[in-house]
Amino acid sequence: MGSNPAMKTPKDAAIAGYGVYIPRYRLPSEEVARIWRGGEEAPLIKKAVAALDEDITTMAVEAARRALKMAEVKELGAIFVGTETKPYAVKPTSTIVAQALAQHKVLASDLEFACKAGTEALQLILALIGSGMIESGLAIGVDTAQGRPGDDLEFTAASAAAAYILSKRDGDSIAVVEGASSYVSDTTDFWRRAGQPYPRHLSRFTGEPAYFHHIQSAVKNLFAEFGYKPSDFKYAVFHQPNPRFPVEVALRLGFNLEQIKPGLLNPYVGNPYAANSLLGLAAVLDEAHVNDLILLCSFGSGAGSDALSIRVLDGVEVKRRKAQNKVMDMLKAAVDIDYATYAKLRGKIVG
Amino acid sequence: MARVIISSVGYTRVGDHWDKSILDLAVEAARKALKPYPNIRPEVIIVGNMFSSQSSKQEHLGALLASALNLTGTPAFKVEAACASGGVAFNVAYSKVRSGEVSSALVVGVEKMRDLDVSEASLALSMAESAEYTQFMGASFLSLNGMLARLYMETYNVSRSELSAFPAIAHTNAATAEHAQFRKAISVEDVSRSPLVSDPLRLLDCAPLGDGAAALLLTSEEFNGDDESMVEVLSSKISTDIFSIYERDDMLRFNATKDAASKAFSEAGISVEDVDVLEVHDAFSVSAALSVEAMGFSKEGEGAKDAARGLYALKGRYPALTFGGLKGRGHPVGATGLYQIAELWLQLKGRGNVNQVEGCRIGVAQNIGGVDTTSVVSVLARR
Amino acid sequence: MAISYWRRRDRYYRLLGNRCTQCNSEYYPPAYLCRRCGSESLVDVEMPTTGQILTYTILREVMSGFEGQQPIVIGIVQLDNGVKVLGQIVDTPLDALKIGCRVRLVFRKIRDESNVGQIYYGYKFTALC
Repeated sequence: MGSNPAMKTPKDAAIAGYGVYIPRYRLPSEEVARIWRGGEEAPLIKKAVAALDEDITTMAVEAARRALKMAEVKELGAIFVGTETKPYAVKPTSTIVAQALAQHKVLASDLEFACKAGTEALQLILALIGSGMIESGLAIGVDTAQGRPGDDLEFTAASAAAAYILSKRDGDSIAVVEGASSYVSDTTDFWRRAGQPYPRHLSRFTGEPAYFHHIQSAVKNLFAEFGYKPSDFKYAVFHQPNPRFPVEVALRLGFNLEQIKPGLLNPYVGNPYAANSLLGLAAVLDEAHVNDLILLCSFGSGAGSDALSIRVLDGVEVKRRKAQNKVMDMLKAAVDIDYATYAKLRGKIVG
Repeated sequence: MARVIISSVGYTRVGDHWDKSILDLAVEAARKALKPYPNIRPEVIIVGNMFSSQSSKQEHLGALLASALNLTGTPAFKVEAACASGGVAFNVAYSKVRSGEVSSALVVGVEKMRDLDVSEASLALSMAESAEYTQFMGASFLSLNGMLARLYMETYNVSRSELSAFPAIAHTNAATAEHAQFRKAISVEDVSRSPLVSDPLRLLDCAPLGDGAAALLLTSEEFNGDDESMVEVLSSKISTDIFSIYERDDMLRFNATKDAASKAFSEAGISVEDVDVLEVHDAFSVSAALSVEAMGFSKEGEGAKDAARGLYALKGRYPALTFGGLKGRGHPVGATGLYQIAELWLQLKGRGNVNQVEGCRIGVAQNIGGVDTTSVVSVLARR
Repeated sequence: MAISYWRRRDRYYRLLGNRCTQCNSEYYPPAYLCRRCGSESLVDVEMPTTGQILTYTILREVMSGFEGQQPIVIGIVQLDNGVKVLGQIVDTPLDALKIGCRVRLVFRKIRDESNVGQIYYGYKFTALC
């Protein structure tokens, strides 16, 4: 075995549809700063906040229904839900999604790998299709991320879902994964112990040894294996826990701002963990052209990154016309809320 | 067929009976009704009640009451039809006497509501609707009437002050009714300015939660001998409609009431114009309005407007809610239908005191369960 | 509640009603017998996911089991096939609500048995006005 071999992704499996769900409410970071920092200047972002009656299950169903509508796939063989904010510690969300979609003959499971469980779900579905075990599958990245009140995470920890239907490649396929490379190590930068409502993190440690090391390693391995260079890519989407990290890692890897801008949603959505980079990918697919190459690189604490090179296919135009909600539409539908409303919606007021 | 006479009535004041259980209340009302006729041992006991299982964790009310009254051996059972439980229990008792199966029947309506939190009582009341498709969604009984009120006001261009007329009439009459929960007059403005609870419905559009029990002793004619002012039951009819309002073609038509009233009036040989005193099911201002329309006292869309014009005031053409109705006297659900009959009895006997409708001869009571899903209309006459 | 919910989850999740095979009348909640023609032959069918508000209310005091959710907006919606359905209306500013508003079906939590019991999901509506 060579060092860090890249994955042999199946060429006959492709993205057939995608759907995103971003809840309507936005908490401006100034509101968090007003309450917890005495109004000190805050990063200029707004994070998406799920309503009182939303959780990862409801958002996963909403995103999945949109993806199914776009994909026009009748039967699914597998449903994987990547998340770290399951409402049930024991009981799969994927079965509720399956029931809501009336899909019962499926391999269903929930995956957890902090913010990277969504791209994992996508790769597992690819593998099942590539191996011939299934024809079509659904991969969802979804979270209702929560930061402890007053913690730095509270500025960004957000809610959203992104769903991808993958299927045997045909003339209507949207995009194909050309190459993939994953990189992991035991790095405890951010964690949440079982039974605890809020995660802990090691502050500055989350940058260099965690985020940057894993993303850079995964992307460099992908480039080495497939002979890519940054200029081959029309778009690059990196995990975006804040507005700063994805820009920094892009520049370090030789990308420019034009390449990352279309998929950079952090200022408008915050960090919806497992939905994070998949949401950026959806925004890019909303505008990409046939044959464009997209770099997608997730990061999950604990820690690891999945780097994928994705080639846009002929079906993108036709399928896009069937899409119900573009990412941009959902960004426009946002309504700002204050901290008190946020506290009510997210169950921070205990009655 | 035997003629059915209401020999006597008994009831408790409606309100917070913190110190009385559901059985205490039922016994109190029953003993008052039985007292004037110590020699009559009722041949059947029928209890009207909606949710003793929720409020008191008690069922089997028939035998429970029979035993407490030293009337073991007597057939006794509970009848339930949501808020129409009392009216339906009356109907069953009436039918048994009327058919000749028995010559005397004790019918007792009782509800214990104040042992429950407001939110628990709201859940209990919602059992009148579909548990699977209405209650599950969080739609309480109040909210259904809120939606109905909005549709009613919008469809018939009914103003806020017109909608407030029935509650104001109810309270005006309740102010001088000894057994009423709220012996206090309120104005149309008071109703219109009270807090919103399920808009457009406001707090004072809605009947309160209260404990209470009412009982009647029904007998066939021979027991009453030469009493000069016997109150006879001329007819009592039950009808039902499609269960939930959203399943009906026209949500603003109280079809069950219309049907029950038309049959009850026909059997009694009366028409709307013959009615001297009227007890309608004013659980909400809007249900009073739709009820008088369905029975033909007002034209469609004119119920609330007619109330505002004074048609249903104590001195109006059709005096209604003469001791406060559900809104003012109170609405101890399973007892409500029997309070209505007992109040008509007072009127027809001329025992209404300051609330007396002078010279009244024919009285009508209408008691509904759900949003007019079950309706009981009964016609009483002074002989 | 857990079992009665399980039994109806397809109704709640997918607004699965039924249709008379004789006269094509559609029902939600599903009918046991066709109310129009009396037929006993009805088949399950998903209802349309859009419609308009016929009436609504803002419920400020909620039933036991719905604590913490108040105020709840409840509406009766006429779906595009004509069927009237009761459901909550969410994510709509209270002052934007009006009769005639277009609505779309959404999937939401209906109630939650605190942190230890089950979570009950089902359809609600969101107004497009």
